[in-house]
Amino acid sequence: MLIGLPGLLVFAGMAALYSWLVYHPAWLLEAEVPGHDGRPAVDPSKAAQINLAGVFQKSDGHPASLPGAWTSFRGPAASNIATDPTSLADSWPEGGPKVVWKVPVGDGYAAPTVLNGCVYLMDYDVEKRADAVRCLSLEDGKEIWRRSYDINIKRNHGMSRTIPAVTDRYVVTVGPKCHVVCLDAARGDFRWGIDLTKDFGTEVPLWYSGQCPFIDNDVAVIAPCGASALLIGVACETGKVLWQTPNPRGWKMSHSSVIPMTLLGRKVYLYSALGGTACVSAEPDSSGKLLWDLPWDAKVVAPSPVKAGEDLIFVTAGYGKGSRLLKVQATAGGMGVEVVYDKTPDQILSCEQQTPIFHEGLLYGIMPKDAGALKGQFVCMKPDGTTVWSSGADNRFGLGPFLLADGKFLILDDEGALTMLDATKPGYSLLGHAEILHGHDAWGPLALAGSRLLLRDMNNLACVELGAGTAS
Amino acid sequence: MSELTKLDRRDFMRGAAAVTFAGAAYAAVGDKTEGTVWQLDPNKCTQCGRCSTHCVLNPSAVKCMNQFNICGYCDLCFGYLQPGSRGRDTGAENQLCPTAAIKRTYIEDPYYEYVIDEERCIGCAKCVKACLVFGNASFYLQIRQDICINCNECSIAKACPSDSFSRVPASTPYIYLTGGVETTIPVRKGEEPQEKTVQHPA
Repeated sequence: MLIGLPGLLVFAGMAALYSWLVYHPAWLLEAEVPGHDGRPAVDPSKAAQINLAGVFQKSDGHPASLPGAWTSFRGPAASNIATDPTSLADSWPEGGPKVVWKVPVGDGYAAPTVLNGCVYLMDYDVEKRADAVRCLSLEDGKEIWRRSYDINIKRNHGMSRTIPAVTDRYVVTVGPKCHVVCLDAARGDFRWGIDLTKDFGTEVPLWYSGQCPFIDNDVAVIAPCGASALLIGVACETGKVLWQTPNPRGWKMSHSSVIPMTLLGRKVYLYSALGGTACVSAEPDSSGKLLWDLPWDAKVVAPSPVKAGEDLIFVTAGYGKGSRLLKVQATAGGMGVEVVYDKTPDQILSCEQQTPIFHEGLLYGIMPKDAGALKGQFVCMKPDGTTVWSSGADNRFGLGPFLLADGKFLILDDEGALTMLDATKPGYSLLGHAEILHGHDAWGPLALAGSRLLLRDMNNLACVELGAGTAS
Repeated sequence: MSELTKLDRRDFMRGAAAVTFAGAAYAAVGDKTEGTVWQLDPNKCTQCGRCSTHCVLNPSAVKCMNQFNICGYCDLCFGYLQPGSRGRDTGAENQLCPTAAIKRTYIEDPYYEYVIDEERCIGCAKCVKACLVFGNASFYLQIRQDICINCNECSIAKACPSDSFSRVPASTPYIYLTGGVETTIPVRKGEEPQEKTVQHPA
């Protein structure tokens, strides 16, 4: 034996020492770093070119000879308060108000607008795999025409979720993947189309675009929130981009929509982007000029800004974020802004999907899922966060839409049950409740044209007659 | 001297054999009452976090599960991502799970799959709570019966503020949310589901 037992012991000791020196206690740990989920890099410029003119299809429906209009998201005054003086019934018969018609629609939350007896809907045709701008008769729901372009949309908590803007001459839509189309409102003729991802570097939002376009004096106002533009104004007649607001902070498109309002006597457009709130001039001599932008780190923003006083703006977001109140003031350069407060969902009205209503100094809306005992309740709050009243534990509405008309709140719950409240009385004053749709995810905003209310769930669009003396 | 002391070895052996035979016969044809195990009812669970801290095992025998046919496969998964996280990726700073026990994998645009690594899961229920509030509620807690040592008195059951724990038949040891669509209880990814059907909200 050349080495012997002492040699073996020395060798073993050295091996143990070497092992101890080179052993790293974290050698089995795996670094949790970005890029381990296999997400592919996406280059919007290489996305397939879509023929936005698409295919036109005429059907046998006819425009109704019925009064009333609801021309864009949140109605004629962009407030979700009907300006039409039509009287609505103060109560409903036992079976609820009359459902005049009901038609199947593609999966989603896209709600209609109404003008000149026509109902316009940005639908998705699941069978043909196409975005479809549909024109239906307000009379009976029959289709008058549709224009559709091929695009593959997969179910991702619904497919369609935007509302067209319509005037006597134009209808403008935004598709799920940020394709803007302008058609002739009466005939459906194609005027122009823009792919926001290609032309402005827009990133398609999670669960697809929820932005509803807005038409201001024949100019379509859209928020691409891409690399090259925060907001743009496009001539409806020609498709020419008349102005564009730069996006130096690199904010992204949210599910919010551009809201026109007047602040300190000045016409402006307000937009809640992913990144913050922007205020852009809407005055003819300075359209598109950025007046101020204020960062806000909400991860998902679906509600739009609400004017809550002459110089106050209420901005809200769900998914745990809460709300903030902004105060604008005139400055030498134009307009400035400051934050009055930032509050969490347990302190203030906070909305996940729907935009609150501001009426006679009070905010109305449905509380989000993380609002504790007020979860899903319809509430009335002062802008300072003081709860005036709530609908109570037995009256919850989920993520449903609501509007105010003829002194009545109309509220839809997740399953499509419609509730009518007396808005002229303080507190939760129930006038009527009826099961209308019997579906699920009835989250598309309501539209009221005259006395006809349009409402939808995931797969059906219905028209309900609410007029005084006719709701039977 | 008592009668017992008079028992000789042969009689003792006969008696012992008789008792053994009778016991075997009873076991073969006698009482078939099923055994029970501990389980928590997700319908009652309030995601308080005590499952991770009160189990006699460390880490806890309570694990998170993902019901794949309920999951939305969202890119923005509230059960996976921290509130306010800047990125939607696998960076540790973005993950809600304190032990990185949820594996996120791109499937196809716009879907991502979320699989629980039970070796890492401590049953803290943070993901369950977030998914319940903002998502499809596909995450839920269950006691893993192959890990649980089935204490006579469950420490978590004693600490549970919502009385979610109970003894359930050992042959159907998992409970799921009630109401809505029927589905089968999932086991680990890749394993066969049980035959028992349960209810879940649509």
